[in-house]
Amino acid sequence: MYAKNFDETVTIDTIIKMTSPIIAIDKELCTGCGRCLEICPVEAIAGKPNTPHEVDTAVCILCGQCVQICSGYDAPDETFPTSRAERLEQRGMLPTVQEPLFAAHYRGDIHRVIEALQTPDMFTIVQCAPAVRVAIGEEFGMPYGALTPGKLSAALHALGFDRVYDTNFAADVTIMEEGAELIKRIQENGTLPMFTSCCPGWVKYLEDQHDDLLEHLSSCKSPQQMAGTLFKTYGAKIDQIDPARIFSVAVMPCTCKKFECERPEMNASGYQDVDLVITTRELAQLIKHAGIDFPALSDEDFDNPLGCYTGAGNIFGTTGGVMEAALRSACEMLTGTPLPDLELEYVRGDEGIRKAAIVHEGVALKVAIVAGLQHIDSVLEQIRSGEADFHFLEVMCCPLGCVSGGGQPKVLLPNQCLEAHIGRKSGLYAHDRSLAVRKSHDNPQVKKLYQDFLGEPLGHEAHHLLHTDHSHNRNLV
Amino acid sequence: MNAFIIGDAELCIGCQACMIACARAHEQLPTAALNERETPFHSRVTVVNVPEVTVPVQCRQCEDAPCARSCPVEGIVQNNSHIEVVKEKCIGCKSCVLACPFGAIKVVEDTIVCSRIFMSASADTPQNRIEKPPFVVEKCDLCADCGTPACIDICPARALQLVDPDAMQQKVENRRKQNANRIRQYRSQLM
Amino acid sequence: MNTPYRLNRFVIADPGKCIGCRVCEIACSTVHSREKTPLTAGNMNNPVQSRLYLVRTPQGAVPVQCRHCENAPCAAACPVLAITQKDDVIYVDEDLCIGCKTCMLACPFGALKLVPVFENGLPVEQNLPLLSETAQPENSNGDSDGYKQLHVVIKCDRCLGLEQPACVANCPQQALQVVSPEEHLAARMHEAAVSLAAVVRNYTS
Repeated sequence: MYAKNFDETVTIDTIIKMTSPIIAIDKELCTGCGRCLEICPVEAIAGKPNTPHEVDTAVCILCGQCVQICSGYDAPDETFPTSRAERLEQRGMLPTVQEPLFAAHYRGDIHRVIEALQTPDMFTIVQCAPAVRVAIGEEFGMPYGALTPGKLSAALHALGFDRVYDTNFAADVTIMEEGAELIKRIQENGTLPMFTSCCPGWVKYLEDQHDDLLEHLSSCKSPQQMAGTLFKTYGAKIDQIDPARIFSVAVMPCTCKKFECERPEMNASGYQDVDLVITTRELAQLIKHAGIDFPALSDEDFDNPLGCYTGAGNIFGTTGGVMEAALRSACEMLTGTPLPDLELEYVRGDEGIRKAAIVHEGVALKVAIVAGLQHIDSVLEQIRSGEADFHFLEVMCCPLGCVSGGGQPKVLLPNQCLEAHIGRKSGLYAHDRSLAVRKSHDNPQVKKLYQDFLGEPLGHEAHHLLHTDHSHNRNLV
Repeated sequence: MNAFIIGDAELCIGCQACMIACARAHEQLPTAALNERETPFHSRVTVVNVPEVTVPVQCRQCEDAPCARSCPVEGIVQNNSHIEVVKEKCIGCKSCVLACPFGAIKVVEDTIVCSRIFMSASADTPQNRIEKPPFVVEKCDLCADCGTPACIDICPARALQLVDPDAMQQKVENRRKQNANRIRQYRSQLM
Repeated sequence: MNTPYRLNRFVIADPGKCIGCRVCEIACSTVHSREKTPLTAGNMNNPVQSRLYLVRTPQGAVPVQCRHCENAPCAAACPVLAITQKDDVIYVDEDLCIGCKTCMLACPFGALKLVPVFENGLPVEQNLPLLSETAQPENSNGDSDGYKQLHVVIKCDRCLGLEQPACVANCPQQALQVVSPEEHLAARMHEAAVSLAAVVRNYTS
């Protein structure tokens, strides 16, 4: 019903106009305090003090940091023109949601998930981003960063998804492709530094504001989109299902992923690759709505084969993680010798801009990691002026990467935000340490995927399904 | 214009006689009875002894008194030529303490009013109830009921003086005249 | 000589710094939850009930809360001694409150509020039957099953037991502070004494 062929002529702008905005500020609840304006990394919010603020959708990168910081709420003893029930409906939220509603909010899509789950002909597949498993427990009274992959999988099974797959699997695939692409660019004098392309806010920002640098962007799709494509091709083949019947849902810590899945070019499978994105918070609301006691659930595994993941895929959820995962594989691919130590502390920075150099078996790689998009402009200037001497740049819009994304549980006390983000980050690294396989290229199911279906990284099939032409996408707008 | 009392730091010897005189002047009881009473004894003037200076500080009897304007119960009023606290109205909210820029208002334990507020742990059993002592704010009232302010009278160093509105007005006018004369003297250079 | 009681400390806002963001209200409501303190919005099952009030006027915003009056009119007015002096705050024992609202009449600051009681998102009932004609399931007061929802008065308790009141600790502008009357007075007197020294010479000479 929802899986559909996308009309090639539809542009990103029309997508934004077609649907209700992904990020918006509710004029009735906004007090004009200006904190969203301060935190917005791209100055997309405007408004006079003490008057309701507005989001400029043309500039907004949909990172949702305004949603996280907003504290203008629907006080129960104040009367607003819109009732709470109407407001929940307008925002696409479940009527059972009890939490306070804040002025800055994102478009809820949970009703479409319920509808899909209730449609008998629909084959529902769900994927979860790494940062979801270290945050969703918080919505059920668990401490910051509680690591709950088993309960998460159990809850998704209980909700009735036919396949509970994992974005982490696709993160491992991303490393295969992105690692190969980096090596190719280095060996063939391609455009360097190469930029990571897994953060959709960053990609949108580059398209909107710095399109002269699009050549630097890795042609890899994000793990979410790679997963979506693989579910409706390789996954459909495994289950012998008509991909038209698949409804593919992604649970993300991110609000911009809602935009990414609706991009017109994201249809390599022949259908919209990912049908719908819901946030960590939306999933928690759905679990509560369904009456599932999340903390009491017994652990369950993600489904094979597309739910099999390594520690490297798992650390994509925090700043420096993509870099670390890429280095674990790229250094080995380049030299044939594995890194002696997999704990690459030197790329785990969250101070804004971090640079590091790696020397392994005679190969020297220089990298840079940007956490928080407000830090990016000086780095881009260095690249333009030719001063940048690094090969690979990782960029995450949100302060500590996806763990602090706009769709993550909203921390109520501002002075606990950092504690929460650090807790989630530690949870991801702890999970990485506890997993038997910690390098993407050692993921047995990834190996099998290439053997049975894709061929070589950057090969014909991989290129068609897992890569995209960013400069071409730009022309669509 | 209200009169007010100011201290002179150059003359003050820090003996605190003004404080004792102030406290005594605002008590109705004979000295013997005061000695037996447990309630502390407080002054409306404070000798501030800080590294920079030693000087008594008290209320400046502001014309648009911030203390009075901050009071939520109209407990601070203009009485003839000074600002006065109506003890019976005071609820001890400390708004005036925040408002006064001189630190000239104190919250003190009082014997006259009654608080009818009990200490938390004692409230359950009627026979054990401990009432919280009442507190009211106090400030300089220029000893309006008893003639010359007691602090000025007692000061052995003559460091305290009453600034009388008329005398102050006179002084200000004299300064203007002197200034006018000076302007006339250097006018020729200006032109 | 010294009084055995320390004057009650209280929280006050600097209106010049307040941006009206309402974080103080959220923080207040969060730490006063009847259940385990919620960490994230998804755990906030009960309506936000703050003990301080962000007042917005055309001149700007400023939070208003209890001054912990030494002769607290609310406490003096309470017929059931539910409001008492506890440590150095004026404290409402919500279990004793009968909802008579006299304290609300007495307080000159509007610092008390009558609120319906919720637990785990559900209204707490009391043994007060509704007249059958008016009893409707889930009417606007949250009453159900023919019994009236419990209501109590709440006010600032300066987060007794916490290191710092939640509103003060979380204000992103540092617009709120705890005032200790004794320290405040000493600081003001110090300034007054220093400024007086120069001025008086000028007048006297």
